[in-house]
Amino acid sequence: MNDKSKIEKPVNVLIVGVGGQGVIMVSKVLALLCQTHGFEVKQSEVHGMAKRGGGVFSHIRFGPKVWSPTIPKGKADILLALEWAEAMRWLDHLKPGGTFIADTQRIVPPFACRNRKRGAERNYSRETPAEIIDKVKNGYALDAEGMAMTLGNRRVANTILLGVLSTALDFSPESWQAVIEKFVPPHTIETNAQAFQEGRSWTANAVKPLPVVSEAPSAESIDITTELTINTVWCKGCDICVKMCPERCLALNEDQEAVLIHPDKCTGCRICEWLCPDYAIKLHKRPNSQTEGTGAGV
Amino acid sequence: MNEISADSFDINEYLRLELFPHFLCPGCGHGMAMRAMLWAVAELGIDKDNLAIVSGIGCSGRMGAYVDANTFHVTHGRPLAFATGLKLARPDLTVIVITGDGDSLAIGGNHLIHACRRNLDITCLMLNNEIYGMTGGQVSPTTTLTRFTTTTPYGNYEPAFDACRLAEAAGASFVGREATLQVPTLKNLIREGIEHKGFSFLEVISDCTEIYGRKNALGNSPEMVLSQKSKMRPESYGGLMSNKVDQPFRPNPFQTGVLARNERQEYGELCRRHIAAKQQAE
Amino acid sequence: MSKQRLQNIPGNHACALGAVAAGCRFYAGYPITPSSEVAERMSAELPKVGGMFVQMEDEIASMGAVIGASMGGVKAMTATSGPGFSLKQENLGYAAQAEIPCVIINVMRGGPSTGMPTRPAQGDIMQARWGTHGDHPIIVVAPDSVAEIYSETIRAFALSERLRVPVVVLYDEVVGHLIETVDLQPAPEEQLASRKWAEGPREGFLPYRADADMVPPFPRPGDGFRTHTTGLTHDENGFPTQAHERVEAVIGRLLGKLDRHKELIESYEAVGCEDAEVIVTAIGISARAAKKAVATARKNGIKAGLFRPITLWPFPEEAFRKLSAGASAVVVPEMNAGQLALELERFAPGKVSALTRYDGEHIDPSQILKRIEEVLS
Repeated sequence: MNDKSKIEKPVNVLIVGVGGQGVIMVSKVLALLCQTHGFEVKQSEVHGMAKRGGGVFSHIRFGPKVWSPTIPKGKADILLALEWAEAMRWLDHLKPGGTFIADTQRIVPPFACRNRKRGAERNYSRETPAEIIDKVKNGYALDAEGMAMTLGNRRVANTILLGVLSTALDFSPESWQAVIEKFVPPHTIETNAQAFQEGRSWTANAVKPLPVVSEAPSAESIDITTELTINTVWCKGCDICVKMCPERCLALNEDQEAVLIHPDKCTGCRICEWLCPDYAIKLHKRPNSQTEGTGAGV
Repeated sequence: MNEISADSFDINEYLRLELFPHFLCPGCGHGMAMRAMLWAVAELGIDKDNLAIVSGIGCSGRMGAYVDANTFHVTHGRPLAFATGLKLARPDLTVIVITGDGDSLAIGGNHLIHACRRNLDITCLMLNNEIYGMTGGQVSPTTTLTRFTTTTPYGNYEPAFDACRLAEAAGASFVGREATLQVPTLKNLIREGIEHKGFSFLEVISDCTEIYGRKNALGNSPEMVLSQKSKMRPESYGGLMSNKVDQPFRPNPFQTGVLARNERQEYGELCRRHIAAKQQAE
Repeated sequence: MSKQRLQNIPGNHACALGAVAAGCRFYAGYPITPSSEVAERMSAELPKVGGMFVQMEDEIASMGAVIGASMGGVKAMTATSGPGFSLKQENLGYAAQAEIPCVIINVMRGGPSTGMPTRPAQGDIMQARWGTHGDHPIIVVAPDSVAEIYSETIRAFALSERLRVPVVVLYDEVVGHLIETVDLQPAPEEQLASRKWAEGPREGFLPYRADADMVPPFPRPGDGFRTHTTGLTHDENGFPTQAHERVEAVIGRLLGKLDRHKELIESYEAVGCEDAEVIVTAIGISARAAKKAVATARKNGIKAGLFRPITLWPFPEEAFRKLSAGASAVVVPEMNAGQLALELERFAPGKVSALTRYDGEHIDPSQILKRIEEVLS
């Protein structure tokens, strides 16, 4: 049992993830847990603006007396990340020797895919869990979602992470479970209890360097050539393809006919083809093996 | 069912190429609706020989002629009546009706509600562009309030029909709505409509850019297509709070997707069962 | 024949039985006096032979559904009366333009407008010919007895299928509700045939390219022809055209095909016309009264004859001209304000005496006899 008197300075826990994952719920569990143990808790979060897919973070500080609501860079005792890239984003907040817990789940945001050509590299975090675990002293990277799926409910992934988190804090498992029960739907209490135990036992068995549970594939390299043909006889110059092309690779010529001006930028997304009311645009795709040497969007 | 990906669907296989380019104005949404329809037909692997397209009068009615199938361009407002006879006589044919807002809601309103009630296995595609385009731009039963047309020179003061609610109330066993902006989504909806055993009513939000768009300063073709999801028809479709579909990145002022579905007895089957029972008794 | 062939039934029932005997397997209709019995009987008969009956939402829709069924290749029919016939004219024109076979029964009642629903009349003679807009081909047959309703309904299907033209069976309320004995003999073999189906190569098939008989073969949906059917003026390929030289050719054929098959279409009854000084011409119940009047006149020593067009439109003009050439007068009893008389005036100028009545009562033989005597004095 956690002894209040043992903690003199506030403990900093930073919980991060993307919108919709449950960062706030996880924070509330921890905050309530600390509160029930008589600590002063300050929770500070940024959410809502992100909608789904954007970053969400929550600072939790607890101790006998807490003044500031936020955790400065390099001062987090624990960084709990529900998503891999968010873990990387907040890594500089972890203090040397702090505990790092991350789900290796990857949620690739639209802005990481600005180059929409097939096979183009994404601007998603390139650090692999193995590299990071090597660098931090207490690092845990796990495929919580995958584990949750084997338990039959992917939504208990956060409870698995709480199980891992519980090993880094000095509260009894029973008190954790009691708090978790207050936040989850009644019919899932049992699964959540299992998930919590799963997280704890995974941590106990985790050897260092920790096994990399899920490694996302590197940027996909699909060997396909796309070719856009425009039947100018059918084109009526409505301008829809020109304005709707996300890559701006079409234009109207002096005869008000659509022409492909940047074939190299064409990603083969088909928006022009689909929205052409006159069926004047046709996108052809073929594997490169058949058309050796031709570049994309010829 | 054949899975036809975007890559393997070739619309030209379903067109009467010798008639192209088609006669619709630049930027007309009907072309996109037709693409979605033909894509759905391709995905379902429907033999063109067994596909019958019945269309009425108006811009929408003319579209049927461009499809390489058994096409019937009938009288104004009556395609559902013709299709009822055709489908009853030839249950082996896949019958798709292409109609417009004036064709189906004004002159053909009676046929629409009874087709919904009867629940014969027909897919009815209503291309709604809020105007009588073929006759030069008169007010239609779906024209948004205050909009200008050649017969509402001071702005429209007639309330518009919500065709989907009308169809649902009349008993259509499958009702859906989608905009031409979303061609693949529209294709899926049409496919579901064709697959549905019974009468399916699908409202396709289309654009009349040349007449309606100009008269109301709704922007040129690309702007009109883009605005389909945000600001075009709030008055007609019950305001911002009516959104049933979760599309967080695009505020959606009118309901899209499948709006009603039930598994009522199909009329043709009922008819044939009745006949079989009578023949057995003889 | 297991069924009793001789039956006492009203004209409207004979009509339904004739249709079924002719191979009609689709009926769409809307209730209207005095034709509703046709629909009622069809709803009972069609299921027995695997046919479809559907009561539509209105007259327009029933005409549409009939054409739709026929477009699918099935023999189809509807029945109506004056106000409903007016509503059907739009789609009737479509059937004429697109050359879709179909049969329309019109049981005439008093008009105009709602008029006298339960009283007989013969006021739709001109509407049956010119009811829909534009020049169009149409065949109208006008039976005058229950037996003839049966046989003419069969013939109507034969003509419609053979020539790809809408055929109207036109009779008045009296004949429609009259109960007579009818021999329900099977339809003659030659009148049972369906339309000429398109065959041969699908590639390059022209749906409106007529054979030598001026009638194009019918491409049945599902047979692989994938043709276009439209009410717009269309070329041989089925697609709209407004090129004047093409329009003249295609509409010319449309209007000319009935003339080509005049002999097949024409049907009339002539009684004692050869030496007649006065010829009485009438249809339906008026013709039955005329028959009696002519017989009485002959008995009284007056050389009277009867010319009864069974095919009313196109009017058996040549036969009438020939038979009426020697007569000094043509008496035309009809239950309208003189529609048939006006037409006959073209063929027998100056000789026509219209005997009209539009009060909802039929014309009595004595009235006709009186007129015969008048025109001769």
